[in-house]
Amino acid sequence: MLEFAVELFSDYTARTILLGAASLGVVSGVVGSYAVLRKQSLVGDVMSHAALPGIVLAFMIVGVKEQLPIFIGAALSAVLAVFVINLVTENSRIKTDSAMGMALSVFFGLGLVLLTYVQRMPDANQAGLDKFLFGQAEALVEKDVLIIGLTGFFALSVVGLFWKEFKLLCFDPDFGGTMGFSIKALDMLVTAVIVSAIVIGLQTVGVVLMSSMLIAPAVAARQWTGNMGSMVILAALVAAVSGVTGVALSAGFENIPTGPAVIVCVSVIAFFSILFSPNGFFTLKFKDAQSRREIRKDYVLKALHDLALEHDDPGYAHSERLLALGSERGFNVRKSLFALQAAGYVESVGEDNWRLTQSGIREVKGLSPLEKNR
Amino acid sequence: MSGKGENPVTPAVRVTDLTVAYGDKTVLWDIDLEIPGGSMVAVVGPNGAGKTTLIKSIQGLVPRVAGVVSIHGRPYEKQRKEVSYVPQRGSVDWDFPTSVVDTVKMGTYGDLGWIRRPGRREHEKALGALEKVDMLEFAQRQISQLSGGQQQRVFLARALVQSASVYLLDEPFQGVDATTEKAIVTILKELVAGGKTVLAVHHDLNTVSEYYERIAILNVGLVAAGRVEDIFNSENLMKAYGGKTSFFPERKTARRAV
Repeated sequence: MLEFAVELFSDYTARTILLGAASLGVVSGVVGSYAVLRKQSLVGDVMSHAALPGIVLAFMIVGVKEQLPIFIGAALSAVLAVFVINLVTENSRIKTDSAMGMALSVFFGLGLVLLTYVQRMPDANQAGLDKFLFGQAEALVEKDVLIIGLTGFFALSVVGLFWKEFKLLCFDPDFGGTMGFSIKALDMLVTAVIVSAIVIGLQTVGVVLMSSMLIAPAVAARQWTGNMGSMVILAALVAAVSGVTGVALSAGFENIPTGPAVIVCVSVIAFFSILFSPNGFFTLKFKDAQSRREIRKDYVLKALHDLALEHDDPGYAHSERLLALGSERGFNVRKSLFALQAAGYVESVGEDNWRLTQSGIREVKGLSPLEKNR
Repeated sequence: MSGKGENPVTPAVRVTDLTVAYGDKTVLWDIDLEIPGGSMVAVVGPNGAGKTTLIKSIQGLVPRVAGVVSIHGRPYEKQRKEVSYVPQRGSVDWDFPTSVVDTVKMGTYGDLGWIRRPGRREHEKALGALEKVDMLEFAQRQISQLSGGQQQRVFLARALVQSASVYLLDEPFQGVDATTEKAIVTILKELVAGGKTVLAVHHDLNTVSEYYERIAILNVGLVAAGRVEDIFNSENLMKAYGGKTSFFPERKTARRAV
């Protein structure tokens, strides 16, 4: 494995490919954050799928697999899909989700039909056009990486320049509008930036899975931070690492397309974040259980104290059975008693009888008024 | 508010012939409204009366079918900086990854214009506004951790940093605690005392007389507008709400007289 890694990084071609994957990651991580923050994750999905007919048409017109025409074709048809969605939702009673679903299937379906048609043509030029479906990073050459870099630089510059405006657009566009910012222009700018990220991801990740490259890093990053700046940077990092790892994986094992390999990496990170981040599923479950245990302990402590006071002696012992009967507690009193014993607040005297220790009595008095009333 | 032709003072807000429609549904019909500077005005009316639309269309956020809005005598589009806006609290996602102070800072973006970033001065301004709404200690807090009342205070602070002369508020008291309501009323009254103009969509008819000097009663068309003591009566409310209100201002006054 190490040998393989050394070989990968020392080889010029491999370095080019990895550089391309890393740049793509940075750009899609940053740009994808905006799709997620604007709650437009699905628009990214539609746009990437909708790029396919543009790719094939561009090839049919130009006749060779030239990168620039293909990029332009892809961008135009992605933008056209968004335009169609807006047109449909604004002029009919069809809701956005239905419009997006239709646009995705119509454009992607058309793309597949064209692709099949082109592949039947008696011409060797079209070979490899289907690689745009799932991506093939091995095909990246220096020129491709240069274009990825330039397009990415454009996208990142726009984000950097309009950072504050984009934040307004995501959080409160109406408020931004009242301050004189053109929300329409900003909306188009964000769309342009997302399209450029999709276009440069076509070769490496492919149209089918490119949307995950936009969304998953942003979702993962959001789990770890509540600051938009950190979120964007973290998303870029997550996507870059996934891009490089995915490319290495697909190069290391025969016949794994790059797109799926990259997406598996990014999904693993996203799932891990959703489950284990400070606000993640398991962390919250754990905190929940912990506080429930604490509250039950206070409950039992208080009950023991109340019962003992009836005998004018805070240290008076009572049986576990009585504690459990005293009210309908609905939980395992013994478990709480053992936990309290471990903390030194109660002690067991003989058969199933328990009483408060001195520190237990102090602890009861220290409970907040709210807890005392519980 | 009712245009007495001889009044030489330019109103803070003048709405002329304003009509707004969503599709084939008319939401606001031919509204004429003049709001004198330094007054505190409630906009009331039943659900769907167009209260929010009025606030939004004054600021050009929804297209007007007809009508003109001027602020201090000049078209709104040239007077944006004179108007600050407190949208409905529920109109944004409070889970957005940002802090309280950064949210308030957004109020300075208009003065900054395109591309220029907020700096130290803007930060100080935001902190000052947070102090006014008694939220300074929450400056670095995530907005997702705020209660409803705190969210509303943050929105008010964001409007305060705009240092405008006209404040348009959309239901500033909706779903906030009593302390926050009092605090907001106090701040708004201070603004008015300082010569600012406040126009707020208001729901609770019980507090209208206590909070506001003037009122605009709306139901698609403008039912009545003027001083609270002149036009806030059951006749006008019946016109706007139909039989759907059980609130009769006269009864309250009568009881007070006893």
